[in-house]
Amino acid sequence: MSAYSKLHPLTCLVGYLCILIPAMFIKNPVIQLTSLLGSVLFLSVICDRKTIGSDLGFYIPLFVLMAVTNPLFSHNGATPLFFMNGNPVTLEAVIYGIFMSVMITSVLLWCKCYGIIINSDKIVYLFGKSLPKLSLLLSAALKFIPELKRRFRLTSSAQKTLGQYSTESYTDRIKRMCGVFSSVIGWSLENAVEKNNSMKARGYGMPGRSNYSIFKMTAADKTISVLYIACLSLTLAGAFTGKLYFSYYPTVSGIPDSPLALASYFSYFVCAMIPIIVESEEAIRWKYYRSKI
Amino acid sequence: MKKDILIIFSIVLVVALLIMGTDFQSVEEYYQSHPDAITPDSKTVYFSIRCDTILQNTDKLDPALQSSEYIPEDGMILAPSRYVLRDGDTVFDLLLRITGYHKIQLEYQGADVSAFGSVFVEGINYLYEFSCGSGSGWTYLVNGENPQTGCSKYEPKDGDLIEWFYTCNYGEDYTPLQNQTQPK
Repeated sequence: MSAYSKLHPLTCLVGYLCILIPAMFIKNPVIQLTSLLGSVLFLSVICDRKTIGSDLGFYIPLFVLMAVTNPLFSHNGATPLFFMNGNPVTLEAVIYGIFMSVMITSVLLWCKCYGIIINSDKIVYLFGKSLPKLSLLLSAALKFIPELKRRFRLTSSAQKTLGQYSTESYTDRIKRMCGVFSSVIGWSLENAVEKNNSMKARGYGMPGRSNYSIFKMTAADKTISVLYIACLSLTLAGAFTGKLYFSYYPTVSGIPDSPLALASYFSYFVCAMIPIIVESEEAIRWKYYRSKI
Repeated sequence: MKKDILIIFSIVLVVALLIMGTDFQSVEEYYQSHPDAITPDSKTVYFSIRCDTILQNTDKLDPALQSSEYIPEDGMILAPSRYVLRDGDTVFDLLLRITGYHKIQLEYQGADVSAFGSVFVEGINYLYEFSCGSGSGWTYLVNGENPQTGCSKYEPKDGDLIEWFYTCNYGEDYTPLQNQTQPK
């Protein structure tokens, strides 16, 4: 259990929005790189080595694929590198592709981190009263992939004991994996519908019912929330006044460095670092107490 | 194991075919094209590329393009001049050849992927559709009139005046140029 996930769910949600809104809507390389840096650091703090290793195997090829796709389809830009089927592949399109994939990868990583932090308990606590249907849907959607993975492992090991994987050929193994996958998908979808019915049978979402929760807003939660919102407002102030404007076409423009832009970068950096500071503060305190024993 | 080898072989084959089917050219090779020399008996057209409507709509223009490097001060990306018209040339063939010769950037959607069944010109000289408001984009006029067909379907005649024209208002803002060299 990480220190950040012990914060109040509302603070976590505020943090999530404060990170994602600038990362998705401000087209500025500094903001995007800050977001990537923060997400990678946060993931490395809250996940173990094994998960990070398998994540790298997924996100690095995805990053490369997205970066390569853009110059193949977008031919704008003043510096052609070479021509492919009569269309230019330009330096600007390559740079744009790289920063697009920085943005998408960082957003995916943040979603992964917050998927671990904001579990279904917290979602039901946050939205259960006001939006019962949405909260059930969200918690089911967030749990879908991890549950799918678990079931896949379950089914394939059951198949293994039946002797289904006792072949040398990779093609046959991939074919069998497809079979397992389709059955697991069917299982999961059916389960999602059943979960809904079962929650209804228990009286979820009916008026007059209260939920048990263990969350309490402390002074630290309030301070962090206020800090988040202050940082977000400063970042958005920079974006709305056009001080963070950056364009890739036809030539890559310079990175804005007016005082307000620098303040925006700094406040977004603080936003991205809060989770890591909270985590490492806990770790330092733990080491300190242990050293006294 | 036999199956594995077969699958790997076919994947390699598909990748090789894809690479073979792609035509790679260096920048110098691409810009080598030359229009034919004008001889007394060759057919010719007048050809120009204009974006002077932007000069009245600079407030709507994408800030990245607000420089005389991309928008010439008189709005003429290519001043009208005579070019040889080969037999069977469409307006698009001329555009491709002439922009290639003058090293003007051009991006288009081929006739096979465009929804109109004809080539769609997305941008010339870094100036794209929607770069100057929601009603902006490239269109062409022959002798001051809109032919109402796609540029890769229209075959101009000897002596026509072809103008590639950047409109900021759905093609309604065309004005003929003053003291322009009109074809005989």
